[in-house]
Amino acid sequence: MRTFARIIRFSLQSIWRNLWLSFVTLTIFALTLVIVNVVLFLHMTANAALRSVEDKVQVAVYFNPGTSPEMEASVRGYVLGLPQVKTVDAITADEALATFKTRHASDASVLAALDEVGGNPFGDALVISARSPDDFAFILEAVKRPEYVGSIKETDYTDYKDVIARLSLFSERIRWSGLALAAFFALISVMIIFNSIRIAIYVHRDEIAIMKLVGAHDWFVRAPFLLEIVFLSCIATAAVAGVVLATAHSIDGWFLRYIEADISVWHYFSANAFTIFGAEFLALSILGLLTTYVAMRRHLRV
Amino acid sequence: MIRFSNVSKHYPPSTTALHGVSFHVEPGEFVSIVGQSGSGKTTLAKLLFAEERPTTGKVVVGDWDITDIHRRDIPVLRRQIGVVFQDFKLLARKTVHENVAFALEVAGATSARIREVVPQVLKIVGLGDKAERYPRQLSGGEAQRVSIARALVHRPKIIVADEPTGNLDAITSREIIDLLKRINEFGTTVVLVTHDRDIVNALKKRVLTIHHGKVVSDVAHGKYTLG
Repeated sequence: MRTFARIIRFSLQSIWRNLWLSFVTLTIFALTLVIVNVVLFLHMTANAALRSVEDKVQVAVYFNPGTSPEMEASVRGYVLGLPQVKTVDAITADEALATFKTRHASDASVLAALDEVGGNPFGDALVISARSPDDFAFILEAVKRPEYVGSIKETDYTDYKDVIARLSLFSERIRWSGLALAAFFALISVMIIFNSIRIAIYVHRDEIAIMKLVGAHDWFVRAPFLLEIVFLSCIATAAVAGVVLATAHSIDGWFLRYIEADISVWHYFSANAFTIFGAEFLALSILGLLTTYVAMRRHLRV
Repeated sequence: MIRFSNVSKHYPPSTTALHGVSFHVEPGEFVSIVGQSGSGKTTLAKLLFAEERPTTGKVVVGDWDITDIHRRDIPVLRRQIGVVFQDFKLLARKTVHENVAFALEVAGATSARIREVVPQVLKIVGLGDKAERYPRQLSGGEAQRVSIARALVHRPKIIVADEPTGNLDAITSREIIDLLKRINEFGTTVVLVTHDRDIVNALKKRVLTIHHGKVVSDVAHGKYTLG
């Protein structure tokens, strides 16, 4: 235990006495983690946007005015029985008109046609949510059964497929380019750690020689270098966690308003802080320890 | 205490530092190993604390055959042998006390033991009042005393001093040798590697002369005989 305490002391001394090297290593560690967290943020946002769009995609089935409640219930029961359907909401004629107007708010010709008709041409309606955007075509076909065709005035599907495909692609691209960027910074980290350790070994060469001379075991000589990297990983992770959480907290309100989706960047990072920053600390430590081990094998003769 | 049996040490491609060296040192002896520069005496000293390994032959320290000593056992050996060098090998950023304590720290000694032993050893070498000084604040003789204190701190059975007076003036050299003699009188075996004629002649102890890697004389109360 006391030997471990001395190794900790030697590690901290080394960080302090080689402050500039420690600072450079810390900076590059922190930059790598910042990149990883920015990628996480972008990925989370893209996924949330994707979910938000997917949730908004619905099929509306408008009945002719005067359709019997039994027929409406029959169609509803049939649609609900389809495995591709998630939910079915029944709405009144007035609600159906309002929904139709909302859906076609940007289509002036449709709205003008509606005005020409005058009054409410719709009967009651069903609003159907599918499990996947790919299922809408099937659902639209499914309701065209002969016994229902006479009662259905119109089926309406807002085509978000393009938006969804683009968002999916965007999300994928963010992930891969983010990973590539993080890998690039990780590579720089490896090079910096390798050189830091090499320089630290050079700076400490007298101390190392004397340690050996007075009977220090190999691990007593090596352990402070390894522990130093764990300490630096810990400091870098803590600093980045602080910055990320503070930033998430301060932009949360603005972000919610800006993207108009029900996601909280603060909630995402704070609720998963232990997992996210714990995993980042572990990954950074393992990367650093492996690099230090290789550097010591090459440059530290004990 | 120390036994060299037909020890040779070759360095590739074609350098032979020691050639068939054999001798035996009894416990409590004071032996001077003398020779000119490049004669192989430092290589011989390095074999004693396993800094080098013999190419052929056998080296025994105490009852321990260290000829093929395993790496993990070297620290244990070095805690039983105190080593003193010409260039002191002190840590510039540690005080006198910390330099001596360092040897105990790496060996896992308790803080209580360090607090007890270090002042005792510094008193023995005459530096009890300079414990908080840094090496740069010491004279050459004082720095060498710190080095000897560090070598003594494990209470070793053997002290190997490799040219301990090489950087010191004549008076300070005499003081260091007197200190080594006092340590020897307490029962510690001392192996002094030197090429200082005056010191060897004044000691009137056993002298083992090495020339071109071979032991050319081994005299119980010898003198420096090389030209």
